Amino acid sequence: MKKIFGNKKSIAVFVLPAFIIYSVFVLFPIGYNIYVSLLRTDLMSPGRFIGLKNYENLLKDKVFVKALGNNVLMVIGSLIAHLPLALLFGNILFQKVKGSHFFQTVFFLPSVICGVAVGMTWTFIYNSEFGLLNKILSAIGRGDLQSAWLADKNTALLCIVFVVMWQFVGYHMVIQLAAMKNISPSYYEAAEIDGAGKWKQFTSITLPLIKPILKVDAVLIITGALKYYDLVAVMTGGGPNHASELMSTYMFYQGFRTLKYGYSAAIGVVLLLLCICSVALSNFVFGKEQADY
Amino acid sequence: MMKKSVKENILTAVKYIVLIGFAALCLFPMVWLFLSSFKSNTELFENPWGLPAAMQFDNYIQAIVEGKIFLYFGNSVIIAFTTVVVAVILSSMVSYAITRMDWKLSRMTLNIFLLGMMIPVYAMIVPLFTMFSKTGLLNTHAAVILPQIAVSFPMAIFILTGFMGSIPRELEEAAVIDGCSIYQIFFKVIVPISKSSLVTVAVVNFINVWNDLLLPQIFLTDSSKMTLPVGLTEFQGQYATNYVVEIAAVIITIIPSIIVYIWLHRNIMEGMVAGAVKG
Repeated sequence: MKKIFGNKKSIAVFVLPAFIIYSVFVLFPIGYNIYVSLLRTDLMSPGRFIGLKNYENLLKDKVFVKALGNNVLMVIGSLIAHLPLALLFGNILFQKVKGSHFFQTVFFLPSVICGVAVGMTWTFIYNSEFGLLNKILSAIGRGDLQSAWLADKNTALLCIVFVVMWQFVGYHMVIQLAAMKNISPSYYEAAEIDGAGKWKQFTSITLPLIKPILKVDAVLIITGALKYYDLVAVMTGGGPNHASELMSTYMFYQGFRTLKYGYSAAIGVVLLLLCICSVALSNFVFGKEQADY
Repeated sequence: MMKKSVKENILTAVKYIVLIGFAALCLFPMVWLFLSSFKSNTELFENPWGLPAAMQFDNYIQAIVEGKIFLYFGNSVIIAFTTVVVAVILSSMVSYAITRMDWKLSRMTLNIFLLGMMIPVYAMIVPLFTMFSKTGLLNTHAAVILPQIAVSFPMAIFILTGFMGSIPRELEEAAVIDGCSIYQIFFKVIVPISKSSLVTVAVVNFINVWNDLLLPQIFLTDSSKMTLPVGLTEFQGQYATNYVVEIAAVIITIIPSIIVYIWLHRNIMEGMVAGAVKG
């Protein structure tokens, strides 16, 4: 038995193909990216080593700082929609509602649709000429509020944040609902006998028991909001005048439009660090907890 | 007693209003898009809400004939199909070795793979671009397929090790006694009982690859190689004012995802939330 399951050669056959692909296309590029971020290079001619100069320039770059701020706004918007709002929907569906499975399936649907298609759909909805939003405003007699939503630097980003909120509420709701379903019904039975109301049950049973999952979900929400790309790329391209630029779109612009690869790599490193930090921070804030009951 | 039931009825009504309202908000954009895809541009402007005057497929024909949407569709199919098949086979093999075979580094190997879950793809694209341009892979489907396979491993291995760790030992022992080699055990015993997890990994991977814009946008520059999401962004420029053709192209892009979702939504929901719920 030992001979079969401990055979070095067959272990290598099982593990090495994936491990080599993973090393060449994930692990090595991450290390190489850190190195490139210390260069001034267009990738054609040999790069020049400039130390941390790219990072210094990032801090002085108004557009990058704007993009960072926009990402923070994206994080806040996502947290509002994907924690309290998703929890509300999840909790309603948790209370034995008719058609619960149907609602879950429908709410989840937008998160499996291609981001480009979602972005284009909402571009039509926000369109200033035939867009539904303006039509609704004029139908309710507030035609004065009509606007070219995505072309206005004050509203472009907010419109995109709204789409992100819309697209992923169902996704996070399903995560939270799965956690609620893991809670033993005996807690609720005991609470009923003690005469605790639904709200009391929610705050003293559901919420504390799904806290570990909420922690993981919060990390997903934050890292997700740092990584959004498709919607902005399609709806505004980061415009007007960088008003809706995110770090991801700015990285693409610097790397593959103006060919400043070193600078672009530095933005990639910043994104990597922010993702790692948000994981570490949530472990620090919520404490390390086991996710089982 | 009577009073309480009135209060409860109101509460139930509010619940359903909230649920139905949000369900409508989820479905409405897609229904509207579908209806609009049969309209002419003038109709779209004059009557954005109503049903199309006639079921005319001109927009689809234009998207397919002039817009080369089937070319993009074919590229998407090639890339998604190859990625999913290779990723599922390789990740199931690694997961098997990690959970069922005896070797010292198995725990560490698992951790190295799982670490990938928090790495954003932005931390790799510049070096990947250099690597592909130096090896001549730039502007080939392999330039998208290889990194897609690599980034799919963490989630796939996470789901599969979770499942394979729970398979009872007896099955393999019986197979060994029957004289099976390790490869026969894997393909004839483990793969068939892991089918449901393998389907989950495959569909989640399919959705991710099918929908991805960033990698094909960077690594495929020739329009004959592009996938649907990149093709759609091309449409935006090309048919800037011909909205109804763009709408038809969007419908063609999302239909496969919706069909797969209707068919396998349990697996998709389970797979996409697995990282959070079990992590």
